[in-house]
Amino acid sequence: MKQKLFYALVLMVMLVTACGGIGKPAEAVTLRIGWSGKPDTLNPAYAFVGESYTIFHLIYSTLTKQAVDGNYVGSLAKDWSVSEDGLTWTYHLKDGIKWNNGEPFTADQLAWDINAIMKDPEGWATLSNYTAGFAEVTAPDANTVVITTEYPIANMDYRTSYLYTFYPPDFEGFTTAEDLQNYGNDAPVGTGPFMFKSFDKDTGVVILDANKEYVDGAPKIDSLIFQTFDNTDAMVQALKVGDIDMLQSVPASAYETVTGFENVKATATDNYYFYELIINTVDSSVYPTQTGNPALADPAVRLAMAHSTNKQDIVDIVFQKLAKPGVSIIAPALGGGFWNNPNLKDIAFDIAEANRVLDEAGYLPGSDGVREKGDLRLEFRLQFPSTLATYARIADMMADWFQQAGMKAIPESMDEDSLVAATTGVGDYDLILWSWWPDPDPDFILSVLTTDQFLPGGWSDCGYHNPEYDQLYLDQQKLVDRNARQQVIWKMQELIFNNMPYIVLAYDDMLQAYRSDRFTGFIESPLGIESAESLLNAEAVK
Amino acid sequence: MNRRDFLLRKIGLSLVTILVVVVIDFMLFRVLPGDPIRSVIGRNVRISADTQQALREQFGLDKPVFPDQFFDTLGQWAQGNLGVSWSLRRPVSEVLRSKLGNTILLIGIGQLLAIILGVTLGLLAGWKRKTALDIGALTFSLVAWSIPTFWLGIILLAAGSTWFGFPTVGIISPQNTGKPLITILPDLAKHLFLPTLTLTILYLGEYMLIMRSSILEVLSEDYILTAKAKGMSDWQVLWKHALKNAMLPIVTLIAINLGFTVSGAIYIETVFSYDGLGKLFQTALTKQDYPLLQGAFLLLAVSVILANLAADFLYVVLDPRVKET
Repeated sequence: MKQKLFYALVLMVMLVTACGGIGKPAEAVTLRIGWSGKPDTLNPAYAFVGESYTIFHLIYSTLTKQAVDGNYVGSLAKDWSVSEDGLTWTYHLKDGIKWNNGEPFTADQLAWDINAIMKDPEGWATLSNYTAGFAEVTAPDANTVVITTEYPIANMDYRTSYLYTFYPPDFEGFTTAEDLQNYGNDAPVGTGPFMFKSFDKDTGVVILDANKEYVDGAPKIDSLIFQTFDNTDAMVQALKVGDIDMLQSVPASAYETVTGFENVKATATDNYYFYELIINTVDSSVYPTQTGNPALADPAVRLAMAHSTNKQDIVDIVFQKLAKPGVSIIAPALGGGFWNNPNLKDIAFDIAEANRVLDEAGYLPGSDGVREKGDLRLEFRLQFPSTLATYARIADMMADWFQQAGMKAIPESMDEDSLVAATTGVGDYDLILWSWWPDPDPDFILSVLTTDQFLPGGWSDCGYHNPEYDQLYLDQQKLVDRNARQQVIWKMQELIFNNMPYIVLAYDDMLQAYRSDRFTGFIESPLGIESAESLLNAEAVK
Repeated sequence: MNRRDFLLRKIGLSLVTILVVVVIDFMLFRVLPGDPIRSVIGRNVRISADTQQALREQFGLDKPVFPDQFFDTLGQWAQGNLGVSWSLRRPVSEVLRSKLGNTILLIGIGQLLAIILGVTLGLLAGWKRKTALDIGALTFSLVAWSIPTFWLGIILLAAGSTWFGFPTVGIISPQNTGKPLITILPDLAKHLFLPTLTLTILYLGEYMLIMRSSILEVLSEDYILTAKAKGMSDWQVLWKHALKNAMLPIVTLIAINLGFTVSGAIYIETVFSYDGLGKLFQTALTKQDYPLLQGAFLLLAVSVILANLAADFLYVVLDPRVKET
């Protein structure tokens, strides 16, 4: 009897254990991403740092989105079309879109969002640029949105990829711009592939859960944790020991070390971030207080500078080959290569040619070897921001090359604020080394060189002034035909390349890394392996 | 001058100092070059010149620094309102409060350990002068005191995370955010271990060296000889006669160090991504966030002044001669 009872007990225990095994849910897959920054706010009306936008793109949806190949595809929109005159855009929405609080998403909510931005451009400081020129947004039925514009808008697809659909009840009732901007939006409701779970404003930790109801299919990862590191060495160490699964940005100095880590895959992707030499181009007849060396106005001097710049050495030595030599302000990686002018042939590094050009232009070496012509002397301040050691190294190399051509460049490190104060609308410098992170659409970086932007608070640092360029800039804004716009943009790049307000030095690679023993399926593109498309494709290693 | 007058004079002086600090606090950050709006929005965002102007007006930057901005700010402070941070868009007092606790936790524990260990070690070393203990303690302290903070932090982080599995970032694991304190204590302790160790090692040396030289000086005084001649044991001499006098320089040092507690341990906080005041100061400075900078600077200045006031009070207790000077 006792024995029977024992067997019965053993059987019961086995059964219970087995059932437990069957009923046990699979362990949740969490991807932990380390980065150096953190969102400044989750309020899209007043978010300035890139990290906020990374989160927005995961929790909010937009009508269109940029795909990893640089083209624009529908996100909320199933399809869209533009009228013959380029003034009316009609978007048909996908079926079955839901807010992640379970409520159905409707076209009139989307129309409300865009109208809210249009009505209060001051309050919606960071998004109102995307609605400039919009006349009216309506929702004729539950699945259709119509945007009417005052003039044809060439980069509409790009603009609609930043117009986030936020939950209207969260943004009603703000009476002043300040009220709207002070709103924390601490529990954003969206329609994106991930749903907001928590954001610790102090530590910067953001936790998102997969949106199982996402209209294009649920992510294969259950949750994301974004963790802020103030120290890049600690961040790299965290990846090594497995405290995190992905580095959103690997410091160039650590890249080689990271490639050697076990079970870690490091990626270097072409990007459109560029480093440039800014040549003071401010017209002294309009701005008599500008202090640039007048010799800089001579095209021969600029040409000699270009001949004295060894971009390949900059790439090989300063960037450890993790960059490409630069030519145009629009890099080949921008928009999948569609906008870069491939016909620009770079000016060769040739010190002898630089010397010949300057000889011919009448600049002859003075007693100390620095070339002079009348009152003009080829001696320049070469300033750069103190934020990165990269600039200092490039400056030293350039000073050396310039010297071989009889030009003297005096490197000087400055804090970035002082550089801003010395450049925009002022022109108190000769040469500056700096860099730009352009938008995915060429419009922004093209605007930087227009005459209108040379004012305090504007974006032009070089003071380039060319009516032809300014007109082409306005033209390209209204060319809805992509191919026609491309031709204008190519012409603009040619003007910049020939007039040389900037000498573009290098396109910096985007360096990232992840634990290949835990995750697979990330898509490498200029959008980064943390883009929504990449994270939708990623999954745990089985 | 009697004891009460001495203390009243010290309190009065502290108040005057705080008033001067308030004025300097306002002026100091406004003489920095650059445009706060630009610092807040960064360089890579599409913000038109018009929108920048709107923000400038909202922050009151379109008005002259003196008298408008000055009296506006002063008026706000008088009401106990430190304003709203431009870059974080949160009330400055709320931001400071949220970091203050973390900083006091890290620096409090670290300093306490450093004081206890450093003072004890210094006392023993001075007492057992020229023994192996003295030489060992002296060498360790000199090395500890001269190690660069950043370097020690990163070495401990690398070793601790590789061999002992200590966390590399933050104050608690992200999964534990917002949970009741009692349930996350082990996690908190794990995260605090390495930064606290770094801080303790760094300050221990300083306390040890000061304590050792101070006790050596006192031990050579005539009254110690007298005490010994009276037949008191070594322990009694040390405890009853030497320690109290030797403590004076240490009290000054502790007061200064504690006063600067609220400035945070910027290097340690940076290495361990520890969310404290030091890092906040740094961010505020790079963003030229005047309300945040002013609030932080005011907190720091007031703490240093109060800590010094406390030290003055302690002197009166420890050293009867003070009230006569």
